Amino acid sequence: MTELSSLPRTEAADRKSPSLSRRGDVLRKASVAIGCVMLFLVFSVLNSTFYQPSNLIDIMLQSSINAVIAVGMTLVIMTKGIDLSVGSIVGLSSMVAADMLSHGLLAGIGAGLLVGLVCGFLNGVLIARLKLPDFIVTLGTLSIFRGAALIYTDGQPIYGLSKEFRALFAGRLLDIPTPVLLALAVAALAYLLVRYTALGEQIIAIGGNEEAARLSGINIERVKVTVYTISGVLSGLAGFVLIARIGAAEPIGGSGFELQAIGSAVIGGASLFGGVGNPLGSLIGALTLGALQNGLTLMNVPSFWQYVASGVVVILAVFADQWTRKRG
Amino acid sequence: MLSVIPQAEDGESRPPALRMTGIAKRFAGVQALKGVDLDLRGGQVHALLGENGAGKSTLMKVMFGIVQPDEGAIALDPRGAVRIDGPRDALAMGIGLVSQELSLVPQLDVAQNIFLGRTRGLKLVPRVGFRRQARAILDDLAPHLHTDTPVAALGMADRQLVEISRTLARGGRIIAFDEPTSSLTPAEQESLFAVIRRLRAAGKAIVYISHRMNEIRAIADRVTILRDGEVVASGPIGDYSEARLNELIAGRELSREMSAEKPAPVASAPVIELRGISTARIADVSLAIGAGEIVGLSGLVGSGRSAILRACFGIDALSGGEIGIAGRRVTLGTPADAMRAGIALIPEDRRGHAIVPMMDVERNFGLGNHDRFASLGVIKGAERQRVARRYVDELHIRPASIGTEMRNLSGGNQQKVVIARWLATGARVFLFDEPTRGIDVGAKAEIYALLRRLAADGAALLVVSSELPELLLICHRIGIVSGGRLRNIVDNDAGLTEERLIALAAREDNS
Repeated sequence: MTELSSLPRTEAADRKSPSLSRRGDVLRKASVAIGCVMLFLVFSVLNSTFYQPSNLIDIMLQSSINAVIAVGMTLVIMTKGIDLSVGSIVGLSSMVAADMLSHGLLAGIGAGLLVGLVCGFLNGVLIARLKLPDFIVTLGTLSIFRGAALIYTDGQPIYGLSKEFRALFAGRLLDIPTPVLLALAVAALAYLLVRYTALGEQIIAIGGNEEAARLSGINIERVKVTVYTISGVLSGLAGFVLIARIGAAEPIGGSGFELQAIGSAVIGGASLFGGVGNPLGSLIGALTLGALQNGLTLMNVPSFWQYVASGVVVILAVFADQWTRKRG
Repeated sequence: MLSVIPQAEDGESRPPALRMTGIAKRFAGVQALKGVDLDLRGGQVHALLGENGAGKSTLMKVMFGIVQPDEGAIALDPRGAVRIDGPRDALAMGIGLVSQELSLVPQLDVAQNIFLGRTRGLKLVPRVGFRRQARAILDDLAPHLHTDTPVAALGMADRQLVEISRTLARGGRIIAFDEPTSSLTPAEQESLFAVIRRLRAAGKAIVYISHRMNEIRAIADRVTILRDGEVVASGPIGDYSEARLNELIAGRELSREMSAEKPAPVASAPVIELRGISTARIADVSLAIGAGEIVGLSGLVGSGRSAILRACFGIDALSGGEIGIAGRRVTLGTPADAMRAGIALIPEDRRGHAIVPMMDVERNFGLGNHDRFASLGVIKGAERQRVARRYVDELHIRPASIGTEMRNLSGGNQQKVVIARWLATGARVFLFDEPTRGIDVGAKAEIYALLRRLAADGAALLVVSSELPELLLICHRIGIVSGGRLRNIVDNDAGLTEERLIALAAREDNS
């Protein structure tokens, strides 16, 4: 291949040098990591417990549920969509899973994942096939799925989950909490999906320019339904961790998870304008939010204030997204 | 009766109505304007020429206060040096901009739009007064417009008149037109020119931006040519021949590239055949295109030209008739079907419909071609890179790197990537909608060469264009579309001229 520099400079290159936009990209990616590292440094200075290995593992453990959901959310956001129903899917699928666990481990897991799949598929069909606005559809299903979870046991929690189930989703493997391993695996798989598969490219294309994607022969409906279904299944999976850690399933489990997941995705570099995002970034995003909560707790900041802090950080992340976009 | 268009004053004896000196502007490291001087005089139409990205629009944005210059000064007669902080300032100083994206609110009526932004806060809107003043302006400029018609109900031409009226209502003395005719019919263009001539006669200073040389010829008094953010020439329009203007714009000689011979079509069975197809927008269109043949479609925007292409690409559903490819009937329910049938669409709105700006050249090239470049859903990266590099080389796509993000390419190079995408799918039928819209003069010649090569390789091409010279240059046959029907199709032989095509189109319109 010819060296770029040996060619006469073209108008395009003169007008807007590619390296500039790349610098914008780097800035964008680095800002996430820098922000996360700075947060860790600040808390480490303020509180000596914070940087103890056991606490760092705690942070990872606490972030893992959110991380799993955030990976699915990242894929959705990359198509320029949004899924507000993830928290309710967590609640509903974990209730069903807890109930079905009485028929065996696989029955519980299978039923829980199936519920997540069906919920996500329903979102996808309503959005992609009936062309309803994603925000409204998932706001509606947020309420529907939560209602279904409450109806399922008439609002009663389910206690007594099997030992194997708890060992699987809240145990340790080689001294590492299994939820952390689960989150890492999910994020890695999603990264490979985005980076190396046709589906991944189609997700980026749809988010980047849906009309162009359609006119180049991409099946928009199928890709969108797939993405919402993935989000549903991952929410179901996150629900397993939630109930395994608590030891019981509550119909209101997972409330408010949507903000955490959206926040993690955006902090991790996903752009609400579509076409940009990185599942590994959302992992860092989840860690950032987790560290924030953990650090504030260690500093005895009342939990009410932690809500405020999370919200502020999420809005800052969106602001940073817009800002780097304009400069880039 | 108050006269909003006062009598002309002598243009040359006074200082210029607006003088820009040494305007420089940098965007994120790119020098968009480098010390540009521009004098605008009352009673003159000043044409601003240049390729896309040459700085014309940036200069107009500076004049209208949308962009603040890094250096340079703007002086208004008789106020002297001014600082224009935004469109609001510009309008108050009598500077107006009629751009392609009009800044009208469709839901409001004509009078409301003319006086939009003239009241503030909780002050009552003096509706009756506004309506009366609007009427006075419209009586002078566009008597056929009613003050209470919602702008949404108006066509493009009338919307422009509203935009002009808004400028006049602010006592506008300087009015810039940025490619105003791109979506007007010939008759509407003529009446717009009449309006511009009247504004000129009334002593207004007019800036006129267009890519169409015949328009510049018809309307401009002076011309300034920008290239890479600098003024390369400026003077009375009479001093420059068309060839000279094109050279100045492109920075090189183009005559040879522009006038290459059309390849002779191969006598063959039709590659694509439309048999009486109808959709919601077109009726009973029949057309057969053979291998190596380029057929043009002429007609007004909205006449159904593009709808014919959409029907051929499976976007608009057929309500009647059938489409045959290489003698076999095909059913095209989606663009994906059309793609499988070997049909390619290169849409008019490249940014909106053809490319994903944030993705790199390689991925834009491979977009939708995952049948070829992926196995079991996993991308075959090495193979796709190899093929993409080959096309970048062959089509002279610049910069010659498949990793560049699409948005950093010029319009002409983006267009080449889109064409390469379809070449790689093995398409035999190419549907082009305004193939050189928004593409620089220099790159245009390359796109024409590419179209000819596609034909020479045996593809069938159907080209929609508003630019008659373009159709005359590249097509073997030209069809005239109006009211959703293909009215007439003529051979593009030596006897065919722009005038005859316009006459043919007019005849069809009246029949």
